[in-house]
Amino acid sequence: MQWITIYKKEWLEILRNYKWIWVPLVFILFCIIDPLSTYYLPVIIEATGGLPEGAVFDLPTPPPSEAFMMSISQLNTLGVLVLALITMGSISGEKKSGVAELVLVKPVSHLSYLTAKWAAASTLLILSAAIGLIASWYYVQLLFGDLPFTAVAAAIFFYSLWILFLTSISLFMNAWSRIPGLVLFFTLAALMIMSLVTSVFSKYLAWSPARLSSYLRSLLITGDVPADLWYTSLVTAAMTLLLLYAGTKRLKKSSMLS
Amino acid sequence: MMTGVVQMLTENLPVLLPLMVIQIILMATALISLARTKQTRGPKWMWVLLIIFVNTLGPVAYFIFGRSEEG
Repeated sequence: MQWITIYKKEWLEILRNYKWIWVPLVFILFCIIDPLSTYYLPVIIEATGGLPEGAVFDLPTPPPSEAFMMSISQLNTLGVLVLALITMGSISGEKKSGVAELVLVKPVSHLSYLTAKWAAASTLLILSAAIGLIASWYYVQLLFGDLPFTAVAAAIFFYSLWILFLTSISLFMNAWSRIPGLVLFFTLAALMIMSLVTSVFSKYLAWSPARLSSYLRSLLITGDVPADLWYTSLVTAAMTLLLLYAGTKRLKKSSMLS
Repeated sequence: MMTGVVQMLTENLPVLLPLMVIQIILMATALISLARTKQTRGPKWMWVLLIIFVNTLGPVAYFIFGRSEEG
């Protein structure tokens, strides 16, 4: 099937340009750096000269769930940036160099082209985030205390939906612009506007995708999935599909023009 | 004070070792990739310095910006 062919071709590229090594490694680093530095903060302060004489500075140790949330918020900033950077050229770069025209001349539907690319990028990013979060769980377990693995596994599952949503935004922007830098800008701007709107109208937008990771906190503390998280996931999944559909429409139109 | 730091490092080796291993693999991968590509954006020696001396960010910057058209 053509979808599988494009998906495989995308993976071949991921293997060739070393993304399969560096993206998981970088995600592991993002995930473990905050729990580690929090744990070693007293030692770091001591090693860099210590506090002034007589200063009392009580450093509370965060509970395990809070330490794990540090990794999630790190993924939400640096991880999202890496996601946007590595997906910014996935169609737009090919459009520029003419590869997209070559591929789309053959009887390949725009839908398979876009969704296969989306699926390949998402697979890599979800696996990377899962590895990173499991590494973080290992350190949390070691340094902060017990955190049930079932809660962590559930958090990884819901976070995967968020990643699918993020890559669909980036691919949607890819369908719109030929310039990778613009794709990056629009992707990050869309995310910023979404989180701003969500926080301003937080009363009405309880199920906005932007709140997905904040619901993960209560999942980690209590161990069961809050109802709001289910509804948020549904909204996120629906918006992902909508973005992919709209991106396909746009891609069809733009290749007719060129 | 230095001995205190060294002692603390050796005591916490099981915790810190994975961190160092990851950074070394990242650096090595970037260097191998750099050695194999014909062309980079910007001079090659600059990337070598960045990859070796700038922790984590150097290799990542190379992978994202350094590689010119994928071959």
